Amino acid sequence: MSPRLQFEGISKEFPAVRALSDVSFSVGAGEIHGLLGENGAGKSTLLRILSGVYRPTAGSVLIDGKPVTLNNPVAARAAGVAMIHQELQQVPRLSVAQNMFLGHPLTRGSIFVARREQERRAAEALAAIDPTIDPAAPLGSLKVAQRQIVEIGRALLDRARIVAMDEPTSSLTPSEFERLAEVIARLARDGVAVVYVSHKLDEVFGICQRATIMRDGVVVGSVDLAQVSEKAVVSMMVGRELAQEQHRSHASAEIRLSVRGLASPTKVHDVSFDLHRGEVLGIAGLVGSGRTELLRLLAGADRASSGAVEIDGKAVKLSSPRDAIAAGIGLVPEERKREGIVPLRSISNNMALASMGVFAPRGVIDHTRLKRVAAEKMKRVNLRPFLLDRPIRLFSGGNQQKAIIGRWLAAGTRILLFDEPTRGIDVGAKAEIYHLIEELAAEGHSVIVVSSELPEVIRLADRVLVMRDGTVAAELGRASLSEQAIAAHAIPQTEIEAGKAQGHRAGA
Amino acid sequence: MTDITQHTAARPRADFLHRFSVRDAGTLIGLVVILAVFGALVPGFFAERNLINILQQSSINACLALGMTLVIISGGIDLSVGPTAALSAVISASMLVAGVPFPLAIAAGFAIGLACGLLNGVLVAYVGLQPFIVTLGTLSTYRALALIYTGGNPVLGLPAGFRAIFNGSLFGLPLAVVIVAVVALIAWIILKKTPFGEYLLAVGGNEEAAYIAGVPIARTKIAAYMISGLLAALAAQILIGRLGAAEPILGNLWELDAIAAAAIGGASLMGGKGSVVGTILGAVILGSMRNGLTLMNVQSFYQLLATGLIILAAMLIDRVTRGRG
Repeated sequence: MSPRLQFEGISKEFPAVRALSDVSFSVGAGEIHGLLGENGAGKSTLLRILSGVYRPTAGSVLIDGKPVTLNNPVAARAAGVAMIHQELQQVPRLSVAQNMFLGHPLTRGSIFVARREQERRAAEALAAIDPTIDPAAPLGSLKVAQRQIVEIGRALLDRARIVAMDEPTSSLTPSEFERLAEVIARLARDGVAVVYVSHKLDEVFGICQRATIMRDGVVVGSVDLAQVSEKAVVSMMVGRELAQEQHRSHASAEIRLSVRGLASPTKVHDVSFDLHRGEVLGIAGLVGSGRTELLRLLAGADRASSGAVEIDGKAVKLSSPRDAIAAGIGLVPEERKREGIVPLRSISNNMALASMGVFAPRGVIDHTRLKRVAAEKMKRVNLRPFLLDRPIRLFSGGNQQKAIIGRWLAAGTRILLFDEPTRGIDVGAKAEIYHLIEELAAEGHSVIVVSSELPEVIRLADRVLVMRDGTVAAELGRASLSEQAIAAHAIPQTEIEAGKAQGHRAGA
Repeated sequence: MTDITQHTAARPRADFLHRFSVRDAGTLIGLVVILAVFGALVPGFFAERNLINILQQSSINACLALGMTLVIISGGIDLSVGPTAALSAVISASMLVAGVPFPLAIAAGFAIGLACGLLNGVLVAYVGLQPFIVTLGTLSTYRALALIYTGGNPVLGLPAGFRAIFNGSLFGLPLAVVIVAVVALIAWIILKKTPFGEYLLAVGGNEEAAYIAGVPIARTKIAAYMISGLLAALAAQILIGRLGAAEPILGNLWELDAIAAAAIGGASLMGGKGSVVGTILGAVILGSMRNGLTLMNVQSFYQLLATGLIILAAMLIDRVTRGRG
């Protein structure tokens, strides 16, 4: 029997770039197949070919052994391919059912949309995977995890034979992920071929049977995940062995930042801690536990309702980002595209944005000086390619992140707040960001790292605060640091009592 | 690192070319093509007098369009420039007629422009209303104030001394053209050389990121609207100086020409993008087209058609050369 999905010698050339070169592999019916590779390896291009957005320059896609022409997204959908994007392509104001029928509303031959019937069929499709979702509810009222499930429901509705998922879990909590994993497993049991793209290797190992690893537009290999180690897969992805780094602490006894009883109107309650000079403080906790909100308070992006903050023993008021920057605090936000970069501006200009006063002491920007500092800071963070006048949007996520770090270095920031520092950044660049954070600490910067990836927290932090329901539930020193210890404090007690993480609401 | 700085510092010519962006070059080519076509079709089009005429006819729109460009770059739009100009015009004019000294009357006109811009800016930046709706509302409001103030009648009989100021010439160019050239130079410096210019581009390019980076969002936006109001007032002074009278309905639909010039020059209504050089070229493109078509005795209906097609062509070229985005 021929495989459900087969790529045969797929190549894709763009002007000046060869994005894919002779890519071949296959996915059987009922198989969950991981697709791994660094950013720029060609995964997204391949998925775009599968979903009809791009046409391959050479090669063909076969479904159930028959070559199919996927000239546009409609054709791909008709051929049984459903694509679930990383950034969900949904309309929040429309209902769940309307979203599931988006683009081909059910009219039953009349000029009117049969809303009731849409909702009935949507409910039918959702019943199998998550009966708690109300098809008539506005999609915007659902959590991200449920929205993912709605997308899968839509694939069921379309009777998709192939479901491709691009980083579906990047913003899910562990228990939400488990729920999603169950749904994916159910899809596979029904004979759907699932192509699963993720940066998180543990997930891929957890739910996929086989995986194909890509690098620089070619397939490095397809492996049976039961027979290889994560380490082997990583070196296939990166093309070299990534050195395992030992943690080194640079924390001094000197207290730089002191937070007492800090609270926001809604999400943060009575948070107190100290941050030392040269220290990397990790903040762990589930999504929604108030970590991001705490960072935003410290960065002046949101206003605290009560509490006191001292820097070097002096009380500071943080009522705007300007205040925070003046006090020496800078935020490297989680959502780089939305809160970090000004896409059309160059690397230099993005870097200089927070320290314009320094570059324009007499009101006119000293471009010579700006260029010199940009060259220095971008060299420091190892920007690649080293093109300071190029718009930042043309750089990879990792290099955009480096530019944002450079922004704070140029502004003379002494306290750096990182929210999910390596979200959406590939393995190689990740290691560079880790290095950079350690070097900054070694130079005497104080760093706070909020992360959902426990290995990341453990790799970087000298000390970890675990947040739960808006407050600090535990403080763990290096000696007592483990994924189990963090998880035990991060998960609300009620959930532990309820047993296995079923339908938990900690994200609310 | 050192070799990089030396590299850039040692190449002033490349630096100049770099500043004159590809997009501006495109607008310039558009202008050259239009001039060439009219030069071939219209005898006397290239006569010095006619070229000066074109500049003079473009100057008021260019003045407004410069302010509009800054507002558009900040991610906003200012539909109220025409009525702002009218309000400024009738107040300056009635003061002049009442015998108030010129500098004071002109200053009052500028103050009106700044105040109109301030109100727009505050409603956008602090109240958080959408710029299109805010300035649509003030478009009617300012116009109504101008009409109510004058009872709907024009203010006639401006002193000859005042008229002489704006009808004079400098270096053989009408003073209005010189004034607008100076304004353009200042706008260019603001956009390219000052933190405020960088803030405008950042606020329009990504407001959330600009906020996190410590950019004073509200101040930046309000300043953009105030500059737009001020330049509308300046345009008003130039116009009433030329006409010798101020009508409360002056400046009807000015906002559309100003937006057109900015857009032809490469400003994106999504914000974060725009060029002073481009806007000036855009205003001259519109001006020379009207001039050429008038000299050819083309009906005004067709002039309107040509304006529309030029805007659409500019946007299409933008789209094709920029790809998606």
